[in-house]
Amino acid sequence: MNSKVDIETREVNLLVEAIKVFSGYDLSGYAKSSLKRRVKAYIDSVGLKSISELIPLLAHNENYRQKLINDLTVNVSDLFRHPHSYLKMNELVFPYLSSFPRINIWVAGCASGEEVYSIAIILKEFGLLNRAKIYATDINTETLEQAKSGVLRKNLQREDAMRYQMSGGADSLSRYFSTGYGKQKLSQSLLDHIHFTSHNLVQDSVFCSCELVLCRNVMIYFDFDLQNRVLDLLFDSVVNNGYLVIGAKESLDTSRIFRSLKVIDDESRIYQRKAT
Amino acid sequence: MNQPIGRVVLIGGSAGSIKTVHQIITSLPADYCFPVIIAIHCAFDSDPNITRNLRDKSPLNVIEVTDKLKITLGSIFVAPCGYHLLIENVTNFSLSLDEKVNFCRPSIDVLFSSAAEVFGARCVGILLSGANKDGADGLLDIVQAGGFGVVQSPESSLVSAMPQAAIDLGIDKRILDPEEIVLFLNSLSKKVDSDQANN
Repeated sequence: MNSKVDIETREVNLLVEAIKVFSGYDLSGYAKSSLKRRVKAYIDSVGLKSISELIPLLAHNENYRQKLINDLTVNVSDLFRHPHSYLKMNELVFPYLSSFPRINIWVAGCASGEEVYSIAIILKEFGLLNRAKIYATDINTETLEQAKSGVLRKNLQREDAMRYQMSGGADSLSRYFSTGYGKQKLSQSLLDHIHFTSHNLVQDSVFCSCELVLCRNVMIYFDFDLQNRVLDLLFDSVVNNGYLVIGAKESLDTSRIFRSLKVIDDESRIYQRKAT
Repeated sequence: MNQPIGRVVLIGGSAGSIKTVHQIITSLPADYCFPVIIAIHCAFDSDPNITRNLRDKSPLNVIEVTDKLKITLGSIFVAPCGYHLLIENVTNFSLSLDEKVNFCRPSIDVLFSSAAEVFGARCVGILLSGANKDGADGLLDIVQAGGFGVVQSPESSLVSAMPQAAIDLGIDKRILDPEEIVLFLNSLSKKVDSDQANN
């Protein structure tokens, strides 16, 4: 291993330790490859020469502690990403949820909000939104504020409308958004069903008891052990016969919870918790 | 499947590379002794056909990578469209949805650079036809780590910008036509140190 790589690796380890000490966030279970990439991109963007230079900033600048976590954990979401999963939820999950008087849904790691908006829209069209309470959480306080506002980062594109149609959308996507000052915002009547809260999957406990939990493309940033711990937490948040959805390219086949789940749709990684 | 991995073969391609990728993988024997890892730029965020088409062409096991999948011998691993593919450590892959690099996800730079960090001199990077400069920086990382950097000859590339970008960075020791790439891959010795002197 050449020495520059080696030194950077050790600097990232020090930074993870410093973040834990000064900010209280534990990134030790994050996947090293993507974390290192992010850290390096970050120091380039702010004009620092080495990763270690972040450590005194953390130690002596209180405002920096939350900011750095926000800058390193920013994820974006998309409207109707992976349309197949929405189709399958329409077909295989929502009909079952219809039999419940009230439905709790948790979108864990909601990032900039587009996924949870999509869920609200698809529930509305299925006639379930009025019975649904959707919780959307993220570790990142800044993107959470963005998501809470209902304002889209990027105004609706043709691709969004296409994915909405492919997801089984029955209306016109733009109908769910209002425009003001050149920005598009999710209709308040939909936004009112979504409750945005800060939650850290790594360090916080079970968030709620839900009929449907979605945690997609969040655990790809975690190492295998942390994934297993988070999967336990997600599993514990799902009621008997409730559903868990993870990212299409994520896998829980080798996890502890696999035996307690029934595969509802393999391609879209939709699972149902077996009754105990 | 627990044999140690000697080298990793990493192939990056974009516009005009599919035919060459097919040519390469059809020529690798079913008992090829290194894992082959492929990132091809895709037009859409989801395109299962890339993996499916490769599967029909190879006697090796062609797998679209899921997050934290194990890197094993006897397989060809393909980056899923819409995700960056990274080498997490000597045993596992990881995926990321971080922003596009060079307008691409998967980005060849991301794959090659992460491989160079983990496997160093054991990397064999092959950059094929393509229309932008993605992959050139990553290939340089591989070469600087002591690995092999192979560039498809611009003359044999349908779109020469990508190989040319690598050559412009000074990676010009192994500029090969597809037939020569095939020969090269089949001639690689299992022991890494025995031929590093040639590099």
